[in-house]
Formats: sequence, C-alpha cells, structure tokens
Amino acid sequence: MKTPNVTCRGVGKVFGKGELAVKALVDVDLDIMPGDFATLAGPSGSGKTTLLNMVGALDTPTSGEVTIEGQPLGKLNKSELSDLRLNRIGFVFQAYNLIPVLSARENIEFVMELQGIPANERKTRAQQVLAEVGLKGLDNRRPSELSGGQQQRVAIARALVSRPSIVLADEPTANLDSKTTSELVALMYRLNQELGITFLIGTHDPRVMEHSRRHIELLDGRIASDTKI
Amino acid sequence: MIVSLAWRNIWRQPIRTVLSLLGMAATSMLLVFMMSFQFGAYDTMKSGMLRISDGFGQFQAATYKDDPEIDKVIADPKALIADLAAVKTVTAATERSNAFVLLANGERSFAAAVVGVDPVNEPKVSTLFTQVKQGRALKASDQAAIILGDGLARNLKLSLGDKVTLLGSAMDGSVAADVLTLVGIFKTGVAEVDRQIAQMPLARFNDTFMMNGAVHIVAITGDNIHQIEADETRLRGIAAKNQVVYLNWGQIQPAVKQAIELDMSTAMLMYVTLVVVVVFIILNTLYMSVLERTREFGVLLALGMKPGQIGRMVWMELIFLSLVGCGAGCLLGIAVTAWVQQVGITFSGMDAVTAQWGLPSRMYPNMTPFRVLAGPVAIVAAIALLGIIPYRRVMGLEPVPAMAG
Repeated sequence: MKTPNVTCRGVGKVFGKGELAVKALVDVDLDIMPGDFATLAGPSGSGKTTLLNMVGALDTPTSGEVTIEGQPLGKLNKSELSDLRLNRIGFVFQAYNLIPVLSARENIEFVMELQGIPANERKTRAQQVLAEVGLKGLDNRRPSELSGGQQQRVAIARALVSRPSIVLADEPTANLDSKTTSELVALMYRLNQELGITFLIGTHDPRVMEHSRRHIELLDGRIASDTKI
Repeated sequence: MIVSLAWRNIWRQPIRTVLSLLGMAATSMLLVFMMSFQFGAYDTMKSGMLRISDGFGQFQAATYKDDPEIDKVIADPKALIADLAAVKTVTAATERSNAFVLLANGERSFAAAVVGVDPVNEPKVSTLFTQVKQGRALKASDQAAIILGDGLARNLKLSLGDKVTLLGSAMDGSVAADVLTLVGIFKTGVAEVDRQIAQMPLARFNDTFMMNGAVHIVAITGDNIHQIEADETRLRGIAAKNQVVYLNWGQIQPAVKQAIELDMSTAMLMYVTLVVVVVFIILNTLYMSVLERTREFGVLLALGMKPGQIGRMVWMELIFLSLVGCGAGCLLGIAVTAWVQQVGITFSGMDAVTAQWGLPSRMYPNMTPFRVLAGPVAIVAAIALLGIIPYRRVMGLEPVPAMAG
C-alpha cells in the first residue's frame, strides 16, 4: 500500500479570537496519495486557500496535524519548514509571482540555487524543464516580456524543477483566458501522467475540474465530498 | 544569484535609485573636499605660524617653557644637534637664546624679548629673516648688530643704522649691557612678534649674557610637520639623553592647537549631522522599498527561501547602493579636491586675518587616505549598521500574512 504524500488529521484553523473568531477549517481529514491529480473546490470562503496553506507548510493549524511524507509539520522549526517547502513542495500561484528582475530561466534556476545545485546542472535542468512546459527559446525573457499563460508555465516549471513530492496550485487559471487555461491544464495533466507528479489544485474552474481524477469539495471549512473519478 | 538578484533589485526603480545615489555621492564628495580643505588649512596654519620663528619642535631645559629664567639652559647644544643629525625627518636645527631686556634709544625705552640666533642656521628653521622689510637680515659676520620688529622700531623711533642700547641680566646675575646697531626691520604681520621681538647674533648674545656656550632652545624643522610629529618618540629619547625636554608644536603654540581643536569639533558636529541626515534619508527610501516588496518576500518564503537569506539579500542591496553612491562621491571628491589643490582658493577680504596667523592668502586642500575615506566610509558603515532595521523586519515575516501584503 502506498504511503500518502500528505496526511491531514483533524485539521482546524480559526482566525481571530472570541466573538470575532472565524472557523476557516473544521476537523479536516485528508490523504493525498502519490500520483493524485486532485482538485479542491468550493465556494469563496470555503477554506480552499487555507487548506492549501496548511498542506504547503505555509501556515500552522489551530488544531490537528498535517504530515508530509511522514514528517509532522508541527514538530518542525521555521528553518526546517523552509527546507521542506524548498525540497518537497512546489507552488503555483494565481498571480504567477515570478521574480520580475530575473529571466524565465533564472526564475527556475533560483530555486535550484537555494537547493545548492551546481551552476552547470542548474542550467541544464532549467532548460529541460522549460522545454517540458513548452517555453523552449524563451529562456532569457523577463516576466514582463511574457504573456500571462507563458508566465504561469514558467511558474509551473519553477514548481517542478525542485522535484517536489507534491505541487500545490491555488487558482492557477484564474487570470487566464480559456484557450490558455485549456493548454495549461493539459500541461499539468501531462506532467502528472508522464512524470507521476502529484497535483493538488485549488480551483472553481470547471475546465480544470474536467481533468481531475479526484475531486474534493469543501464547504464551510469541512470536506463535503471526496470523489475519485 | 542572490548577489545578482540584490544588484538587480536596486535597479527596479531606477529614478529612485539614481536619486539615492546622487544624494550619497554629493554628500561623500562634499565630505572629501571639506575635510581635505579643512585639514589642509590647519596644516597651513600650523606650518605658517610655526615657521615664523618657533620651528616644528623645540628642545629646552625642563621647566623653561613655563618659567623662562635665563639660567635654565641646554648646556651642550652641539651634542644635542649632533644627535639630531641622525634623525632624517629633521632637516635643520638651530640654537637660540632668549632674554627679556630693555631696549633704549635716547629717552625712549621699551621692554622686549631679544633672541640670540645663529644667522647661518636660523633661516633654515624660521622665516623671520625673509620678513625683513627694511635693511637686511643678520649675517654670519655680524657682531654688534640687531634687527627689530617694525612695531618695536617705531616705538623706539629707530631707523636703520641707529644705535640701540640693550640692558638686561646676564646668566651669572651680572648686568648685561650692550650697544647694537640696527641693521634690519622685519614685519611678520603678527602684531605680538612685531612689537616685542628683537634678534641679535647668537655669539654676541653669548658674550653679552655670559652664557658660556649654553643656549635656551634648539629649534628644529622638517619638510613636513606630520613627519616631525611621527618621529616624536625618537625626539623625546634624544631629549632625555641630553637631559632636556622636547616640546611638540602643540606644546609650543597651545593657543593655536586649542583654536584648531575648537574649530575641528564644530566642523565634526557638522559632518556628523550631514552623515546622519543622509543616512536616514537613504534608509527611509530603502525601507520603503522593502515594505513595497513584502508580498514578494512572502512568495520567496513560500518557495523555501529562509528569512535570513532574504534579510541578507536586502542588506546586500543597502551595501551595494551605499558603496556605489559613496564610491562615486569619493572619486568625484578626489577629482574636485585634486583640482583645487592645484589652483587653491582665495578668500577675498581675509588678507589681514590670514597675515596675522602667518598664512598665505591662497589656501589649498590636502588629501590623505583618512580625509578621503572617513566621510564615505562613515556613511557606508552607518547604512550597513542600520540595515539591521529592514533586516529585522524581513526576519519577522511569515509567508501567509506577507503574501497577503
């Protein structure tokens, strides 16, 4: 039996205190298995981003525990959490969030440099991954010289290049037109199929959900349904 | 790449960066020039004043400076001068003796300080001989000759060739009396000197005041007052060996030293204010740029960059910016100062004041590594040190609130 990439047990998150307290997540139990291509859906305020933040070791739960590859996040200090995010988790954000002063290739190499990978290997791997996401020849363009779809492809390449256990994507297609969205979803799906990379995608875009093989529905901070397709 | 990223980050807002650089460069340039000019003026002031008559350093009997009695002497000045010959920075040494006397011309008499000088070596140490405006300076063959400051000559109503009667106390307690011929009148511009000082040949002074070959002072000079200052320990050793004391320029002219120190402390206050103002303006600008990038720092944290790495990157940005700004200012400052060093600056209407201090009317800056680097390095160091403020801000960031902006 496969070991889950991510395990959430009784995860709760409360923002604020007293009468102003808001329960963003309530008693969430979830296992993300290797090779999953899962979508996390739900209306605004249902807790999608909060759950992605917990799974991505960006935030700590008020109750319960998140475990990534057997490591309980609650027992890790700030530096260990940084290392975990660097080496085991890839992030794709809605607003791409590329470093504007670095070229496409440098944005990708930057993560590898933080990992301590030698310069030659960084360059080779960055070019490979750029080719994989269909951006061959655009290595030296800065984010401002790329379209939204191209920037998001660079962001995906950046998320993949560290060879993470899981890629977390929060509304990755929200700023893209339908054609670009279809291409991007197809790309993520292909990477999942060909390379076995686990994806957990927070979205309410039906075009993304079409490709989903597992659909998790959140409602008021609780998992309302978890369906394998 | 973090170094490269830090460098590129400072050029994200080119106009803001250029303005910050200009601020630092202008301040650094100003500091380089002002410090070089101020210290150059001090050097000119010291050298000018000391070259009139004192010399850059003096050897005397232990308590002669505070209580200049005629019997407090350097018994064997020739031995002392022979020892000084081994000190390369001392280019000349001359013997002097002093006495307080009454100078008289008929019914008129005035108290004066008469200095017995060696006409051969004295011109190498002091410029008084070059200040002779009427007649001539003393020369080696002179016997019963004297030169007076123009104020003293005027008070005594003396003209060249007139006889002057000198009356004082000899070293053995007897009366020292002599009649000398006025051969020259000098005018230094320093009123005190011109009203009170007279010079006569040292050999004649020796006979008149029964000095038995002893003198009161051995004055020295060099190419540069700083070289003499640097050799002070050695000079003090020679003094101790000859059972006398060595006085540096500050001990010879404490009033000048105090005036310089007072002026320097005021100037330092101004320099520090300038540095503080510039540093806080620059720091404020840079802190703003850090605040603007909070969201981006949140993303970097999410990608796995550690807060310390981001903090160091921001610190690097501060240091790069200050190094470029202050470096450029330093180079500009050197160029401007080097140019002024060639042409000098004249302060119109200051001739009387400068003459009083024995200064030339045209002043020149004097660059040294310290004067060039002190200001710019202070700015860079202060910015680097205060970089702890943005660094601490970055260290306190958490990914989620930071990404929320």
